[in-house]
Amino acid sequence: MRLRLPASPVENSLEGRAFVFSGFCVAVLAIVLYGQDYVVPAAGVAATAVGHVVSYRGRSRKRSVLGQALLATLVFAGLAYFVADSVLALFGGVLPQANFAIALVAVTSFDLKTRRNCYSSLWISLAILYLAAVYAWDYPFGILVGLWAVCLAGFWMASHLRRMQARLSAPPAALAAVVLGALGVGLAGFVLIPQPASFAPTPLVVSLPNFVSFKGELENPALPLVQISGDPSGATSSVDLHFRGRLGDTPVMYVRTGAPAYWRGLVFDTYQGGIWTASTRGFREMQSFIPPRLFPPAPPNNLGTFVQVFRVLRPLPGVINAAYPIESLYAPVTSLREDSYGTFFTPDLLRPGQTYSVVSYLPNLTAKELQNEPVANAAQFINPIYLDAGELSQQARGLALTAVGGHTTTEFDEVMALTNYMQANFRYSQQLGHVPAGRDPVDWFLFDVKIGYCEQFATAETLMLRSLGIPARLATGYSTGTYDPVLDQSVVRERDAHAWVEVWFPSHGWVPVDPSPGFSALAATQFPSHWAAGGIARLIPHLELGAPLGAIGSLGVVAAIPLAVAIVVLVVFAWAWMRTRRWKRGAKAPPGESELLRLYERVQRKLRRRRAPPETPLEYLSGASPGPVLGVLDEVTQAVNEGAYAGRWADPDAVRELSKRL
Amino acid sequence: MVEYYGTTSEVPWLFLLASWIAALCLASFVYTLWNRAGLRLHLSVHGTSAAPGSPVGDLPEYLLRNSPLPEPIFEGDGVVMEVGLDTTGAPRGPARLIGFIGSEQISAATGLVPRSGWRHTVELQGLRRGPVGARAWILESSDLAGLFRSRRANPDAEVALVLPRFASLARRPQARDLEASVAAPRAGSGTEMFGVREYRPGDSLRRIHWRSSARHGELIVREYEPPGVQTLGIFCDPEPPGSAVADQVARLAASEAWDCIRNGGRVMLWGPGLTPSERGDGRSLWAALEWLARYPTRAAAGQDADPPRVTEAVAVTGSAQPEVVEALEMVRRRGGMVRAWVVEPGARRAPHLFTDLDLDGPVQHVGTDWPL
Repeated sequence: MRLRLPASPVENSLEGRAFVFSGFCVAVLAIVLYGQDYVVPAAGVAATAVGHVVSYRGRSRKRSVLGQALLATLVFAGLAYFVADSVLALFGGVLPQANFAIALVAVTSFDLKTRRNCYSSLWISLAILYLAAVYAWDYPFGILVGLWAVCLAGFWMASHLRRMQARLSAPPAALAAVVLGALGVGLAGFVLIPQPASFAPTPLVVSLPNFVSFKGELENPALPLVQISGDPSGATSSVDLHFRGRLGDTPVMYVRTGAPAYWRGLVFDTYQGGIWTASTRGFREMQSFIPPRLFPPAPPNNLGTFVQVFRVLRPLPGVINAAYPIESLYAPVTSLREDSYGTFFTPDLLRPGQTYSVVSYLPNLTAKELQNEPVANAAQFINPIYLDAGELSQQARGLALTAVGGHTTTEFDEVMALTNYMQANFRYSQQLGHVPAGRDPVDWFLFDVKIGYCEQFATAETLMLRSLGIPARLATGYSTGTYDPVLDQSVVRERDAHAWVEVWFPSHGWVPVDPSPGFSALAATQFPSHWAAGGIARLIPHLELGAPLGAIGSLGVVAAIPLAVAIVVLVVFAWAWMRTRRWKRGAKAPPGESELLRLYERVQRKLRRRRAPPETPLEYLSGASPGPVLGVLDEVTQAVNEGAYAGRWADPDAVRELSKRL
Repeated sequence: MVEYYGTTSEVPWLFLLASWIAALCLASFVYTLWNRAGLRLHLSVHGTSAAPGSPVGDLPEYLLRNSPLPEPIFEGDGVVMEVGLDTTGAPRGPARLIGFIGSEQISAATGLVPRSGWRHTVELQGLRRGPVGARAWILESSDLAGLFRSRRANPDAEVALVLPRFASLARRPQARDLEASVAAPRAGSGTEMFGVREYRPGDSLRRIHWRSSARHGELIVREYEPPGVQTLGIFCDPEPPGSAVADQVARLAASEAWDCIRNGGRVMLWGPGLTPSERGDGRSLWAALEWLARYPTRAAAGQDADPPRVTEAVAVTGSAQPEVVEALEMVRRRGGMVRAWVVEPGARRAPHLFTDLDLDGPVQHVGTDWPL
């Protein structure tokens, strides 16, 4: 009897094909929603629908050489389109890879003749979904993932039932329970189970010179702190405290990050007449991928690295905003430039849809670490420009001395004392009037209005620190934005544009400090302040000793959940395994038993009379007619009795000997 | 795989997808256990279709009404088997059934087993005499996506009994047939016990059945058959040479039994080494047919019986069985009539068979074709 079923002929199942097509539609919908691609997805869905009909009708027909050649040509045409789309951004698409995959599905849908073809189509649609996932920054994308998972489950179900030769039907309540249960349990697992991170063993980086056709627009709506300059990247070289643009709520970029951080852009070291400028203008040309060896050494006692992927939503100056210090960097552009402050620039403006990835160190910048630095060390080996307080008034210098009074033991104490003073005694507001003509912006902020926004706070603190002999500079960029620890991403808006102070600590380099009220005074990258397993656990494999303990320690009692789940799973598996072992042991017949019983059956067949169920072996023996078999039957009967009633089953060799005699 | 890509891609949605796939596997495993626990195999006869020449059309209505079997099936007839699944509580599925009915392998599957059960009908044609067994039935249940499967073996069972064909062998006039068919057995004072009834004044005290009287709390007397009722012993070959001969023996014996019973007689089926028919079932055509459907059924050790005491005996045999001949001789010595049917396939006719016997009755030689 054939119990094992053959492979499922799911290609004959209309329902199975419907699920394949639905999965593709879900993936394409994701591309439309998150990749802002419309033409190729729409054409792809239409072509795929036709292709499914054609291939279903012709599934039993043999493939023709001409048809195969035509398909191969179309695949190569799709590849050519992919290259053209990558370089020229045809139809304004930002996901040429997804367009290629869609074209591939559309072409191959005309040739879905086998089960394997159907699976291939499904897996390509998963790849398309994955490409959309790179750009997906919100929770509703989870709905699309769930829909695709349902399509996959539906395809499996159709395949299974087709294999069983049953119609596609299922108990509705049980089906709903399984689907909802799986979705619920999966969602809980997604939130609670740690998400490990590792690097792909063979990274494949293909850098196409995309978007080269885009040049020259001097748009700068998202960086209101800086002014337009002649740089082709759109980056400026100055910050003027007399002017301030209006900051909106429009998202400017998404950042997928393992930890919330300040995304630093430009750095300024010279302040004169209310304007910050960069004193050094030199640049260094670099490749689009900058490996770790080209960066300064890793900071001491760092807690490891974490990855950020930036996706630009609005035209931005070609400045690479990232968490510092950087370990490695990749931007899909022809080349990068690095200025003398360690900031990187792209050749052109960053345009919507463009992405770049940065791996940054997670520095160990805690109060305990920084307090070990004595004040005297700070200014010994630093460029004097970072100590130039310049036009800072005597009144302001006096205020600085007052603010740090009694906290001069270490550089860190001094910095924190001044920062806390700034945060406590001045009000933050973006509704600020213009600086009166002839009035120094810092003095106007410190002594006249006592209200300012981040540039005022950062400028005042920078200059005041310099007046105290502590090297400092102004850093601009974006604060973390709206950080979501579950999805490991943050939405950065116009209003997140920010300025802060970087203070030089000889042993730790430039340390970010934020005097603006409402921000953490020590603006170093930290673990997420509120825990969600998906976000924090993602960091752990990246990090060296110390960070995991810190991460786990921040969880409190909740840290026990993954451990407890793992232990329960292990115990259940061990119990199941032991039960299986016990069954197997119980079911196993002793050696010789089965052979002896088979021989006993043979003897009965030879005698042409089967032993009746109530008849004992001895009764059967006594009723047997005399003959040559009787002798063997006598011995077999004794052996059977001994085995059945005394548990001593005959040796297999002895049974074979009896068998030979028979 | 998806989880691995999640670890290397910085796209947490892959973790969500992997988590959902893992959860789907887990839910499927639980579902498989639940599905398996509530499914039961169902096997029954849904209907029959009489083949040309089947005796079912000739049987009187009262006989069919009193049939102990749901629907009598005769050899050559067709039967519609109902294979299915029953569920306890909620609807379940999917499940697959595979097994044998008789010698035919049957496989059926469904995605949904509703609360009222799922049925699949299978038509089997040209059935042979004997029990129709359902054997090696496997119930395979799984989760909805087929990720996990569970198989459960069901015990073998008898789902139907195919009775031998028969026809009247007596060449009697039609009037006699009619007369015989209305000749119901009457209670009297013969030798064979017919039944019991309440005591009536005038009954002999010897006929009081004390055990029944004690049970009923009133006097109960035995009733005996009137004398002259035919008791036919049908002595069958215990080891017919081949199934074709066995089938023909069964048909002839069934025909003899039919002739005897419809004439108001009683039938005793016997064979050396075979389990004899029940004495109390002598008037039941169905009991005789069931015995013959299972013929030859070996008696358990010590349960074989001596030839019954009958007024007339007919041997139906395919070989020269000394015990059968001896039993006929015994009947003949008691004054009973004996005769014999000898079934001989064309290739091995043995006209000498029984020629040495001093039988006061005819010996008829027949082949294995039916009707004769």
